[in-house]
Amino acid sequence: MRITQGTFSFLPDLTDEQIKKQVKYCLDNGWAVSLEYTDDPHPRNTYWEMYGQPMFDLRDPAGLMMDLEECRKTYPKHYIRVTAFDSTHQWETPRLSFIVNRPPEEPGFRLKRQEQEGRKVRYTIDSYASDQPEGQRY
Amino acid sequence: MAQTIQNDKRYEAGVIPYKKMGYWEPDYQPIDTDIIALFRITPQPGVDPEEAAAAVAGESSTATWTVVWTDRLTACEKYRAKAYRVDQVPGNEEQYFAYIAYDIQLFEPGSIANLTASIIGNVFGFKAVKALRLEDMRIPTAYMTTYKGPPTGIVVERERLDKFGRPLLGATTKPKLGLSGRNYGRVVYEALKGGLDFVKDDENINSQPFMHWRDRFLYVMEAVNKATAATGEVKGHYLNVTAATMEEMYERAEFAKELGSAIIMIDLVIGYTAIQSMSNWARKNDMILHLHRAGHSTYTRQKNHGVSFRVISKWMRMAGVDHIHAGTVVGKLEGDPNQIAGFYDVLREPHNKQNLEHGVFFDQDWAGLNKCMPVASGGIHAGQMHQLLHYLGEDTVLQFGGGTIGHPDGIQAGATANRVALEAMIMARNEGRDYMAEGPDILQKAAKDCKPLQHALDTWKDITFDYTSTDTPDFVPSTTTSV
Amino acid sequence: MSAADKPEETRADEKTLDADAKVDLDAVFEASRIQEVFDQLDHDLVGLKPVKTRIREIAALLLVDHVRRQFDLASDSPTLHMCFTGNPGTGKTTVAERMADILHKLDYIREGHLVSVTRDDLVGQYIGHTAPKTKEVIKRAMGGVLFIDEAYYLYRPENERDYGQESIEILLQVMENNRDDLVVILAGYKDRMDRFFESNPGFRSRIAHHIDFPDYRADELESIGELMMNEENYHFSDDARQAFSEYIERRMRQPHFANARSIRNALDRMRLRQAKRLFEARGSITKSDLITIQADDVRASRVFDEPVDGEAGA
Repeated sequence: MRITQGTFSFLPDLTDEQIKKQVKYCLDNGWAVSLEYTDDPHPRNTYWEMYGQPMFDLRDPAGLMMDLEECRKTYPKHYIRVTAFDSTHQWETPRLSFIVNRPPEEPGFRLKRQEQEGRKVRYTIDSYASDQPEGQRY
Repeated sequence: MAQTIQNDKRYEAGVIPYKKMGYWEPDYQPIDTDIIALFRITPQPGVDPEEAAAAVAGESSTATWTVVWTDRLTACEKYRAKAYRVDQVPGNEEQYFAYIAYDIQLFEPGSIANLTASIIGNVFGFKAVKALRLEDMRIPTAYMTTYKGPPTGIVVERERLDKFGRPLLGATTKPKLGLSGRNYGRVVYEALKGGLDFVKDDENINSQPFMHWRDRFLYVMEAVNKATAATGEVKGHYLNVTAATMEEMYERAEFAKELGSAIIMIDLVIGYTAIQSMSNWARKNDMILHLHRAGHSTYTRQKNHGVSFRVISKWMRMAGVDHIHAGTVVGKLEGDPNQIAGFYDVLREPHNKQNLEHGVFFDQDWAGLNKCMPVASGGIHAGQMHQLLHYLGEDTVLQFGGGTIGHPDGIQAGATANRVALEAMIMARNEGRDYMAEGPDILQKAAKDCKPLQHALDTWKDITFDYTSTDTPDFVPSTTTSV
Repeated sequence: MSAADKPEETRADEKTLDADAKVDLDAVFEASRIQEVFDQLDHDLVGLKPVKTRIREIAALLLVDHVRRQFDLASDSPTLHMCFTGNPGTGKTTVAERMADILHKLDYIREGHLVSVTRDDLVGQYIGHTAPKTKEVIKRAMGGVLFIDEAYYLYRPENERDYGQESIEILLQVMENNRDDLVVILAGYKDRMDRFFESNPGFRSRIAHHIDFPDYRADELESIGELMMNEENYHFSDDARQAFSEYIERRMRQPHFANARSIRNALDRMRLRQAKRLFEARGSITKSDLITIQADDVRASRVFDEPVDGEAGA
């Protein structure tokens, strides 16, 4: 399976050139870009690990690309995403977020159903990979 | 000049013109706390437009058809609405724009029902005007802050869904009527797994003999959760809780919550009070609230009579809905591009600047109320993606019902085609390309990696809905009329 | 970047020219709009002849490189890390800013901004602090010019655990690996820079251009003063101009003389005295009064009180 979180997950994986252009778009809008990684891509796992602080005051994507290269070296089989933060009043939230690295094999999620009264079902989603301890998942 | 008859003569029994009763005050300067309404008036033949405007001011505030002495028991000058300006509509000799100011104390705080009972009450049936349309309103900050606004808002909705930087994608389950709960859930699962973020009940899917509401909710949530597990993405379905009574709506909403739905929906026809109640419920229960504007065209579409959808948009953002259908520009339903841009601005901007070209007559500050997500729905397909993005922007839900479910290779393929088309267009836009001009080319290139998109483009390549709009702006950029 | 996105003048180098094709260098020069920068440089910066010459050489190199690429003549893009040496106030920072502009106009760097730092911006206070700090600065400078003033402070041989060394190593690596992403300019006193390079040969080898900024002559300083005055809508009376000339002669021989910077400070104080004089005189004043610096405003300086070899002060 292929996890389709992030803005461009239905397109072929972005090349570094394509990533640079998206980052440039973010920087030109005055947004701070950051790198985050995880081996627990549960849809409700909001807080991926930060690879350093969000990068404020960047002018050129090369800065982020330098960190991305390091991050990929350290976590080659993790999910890595670029998130761009907009501090404009009444946004103050990410404006773009897309995956730039993913594991070679994505085992996906198990849907657990707990039957309840009146035909109701309580659903739980579990990543197959997270059966393993952190760091040994992919 | 104001020709108000003063004191003793003013209250002699009988009938005097509204103009002379104090409802026409051309020297009046609206104050910051006034609510201002802009009406399009078509007076009866022979009726002076200022008198017609005064009559509208009178009938929408304190007046009745004759003089009443009980006025004198009140500070009636304060409570009278004041028509203070009348302009002829550009290019139309029959119609006039009348500006009417209302004191804030005429209205109950936080009540759309009360606001509308005055502003669009009896006055719309008033004989002195042939037709009457409420075009726009300026809501003062002092009154705006008595409303809670959208319970979730665009920003928090995106955070909850973890979806940024692109319009959201939806579809309405089709056929509208007749599917059993089991078959209905199949459509939902296929569409979500294929790449849509949301699927939607149609406005008239409530609880009919062919599908009881509980059955629908249960099957739909199975589909939503299964699709979430299949994609690793947050997915949702707008469960329509519209019902005959508030009690029943609450019951359905509670059930949706128990099943873990992220979003519920209501129809505009449930009424303003019910909408505000459901908004309170949604706020209390962390639920996104979708509003289908069923019924609005009965009064928004004709230019001479009714209420502009721009005003409905304002009221609904105040009343507190998170989503509202607001037009597609390119789809099958009524919608002039400039008018729709105006509706979208009203729903999404923190502050609206007067923009006559878009039909926005007043500066309007939203006093920190959340932004409401406009929904584009009705006759749109993947081949229009560049136009949709250009006209509607990024913060919108694009609903491809037929454009998903009618795909020749099936529902999943239809959903995938839409998602790929959208992501390709966003990528091109961010790369600085002229995506409006290059749109078809961008889509064709994206289709090389995505057969479903190729088939969608081939199937619907000639589909356009090119009819003249009825609700169009009165001002074009070249107009020099000062307003 | 697709061909359609490129500006007109650079799109040409996408296709290789025939060996006997001719390229109009004038047109290439024109298109680069580099003359504007040269003119601005000549207008704004008095003297600095060797510096300006070197800038023109670098511009020529990059332009020719451009044309060579049109003929598909392979060569690495040249290394343009630089070292500016000279005393304070000789225009190093100003020239660095212009250099960023020039390199941007010639397509060598993508953004053309200047990030100006000193040791404190690069080196941390405790273990693990320096690398993120240095990288943060480098990331901000990407696409532009990183200007490190008094760069020799990065190296403190007296303290072998000094964190400056860590910063130096990161900088060296970036100067080598990210030549396309940023230009590093080191700056400082000549003698100290020389000693710094002796201990850090890695730096010397990565720097292609050493540019020495000479001290200004007295007449150059006078012109600089006039220029600064005009920019602020002031001018000297004839007596004041004479006094200013004497001021410069005396000030140059005093300690802590910092070329143009000292002139800037002196002018600020003259404006102060002028304002005080006008204010104390009261009565009505004219526009001419407001813009004119009188001889008294100049001669009230302590520079005139003290023997020329005496202590500092102005």
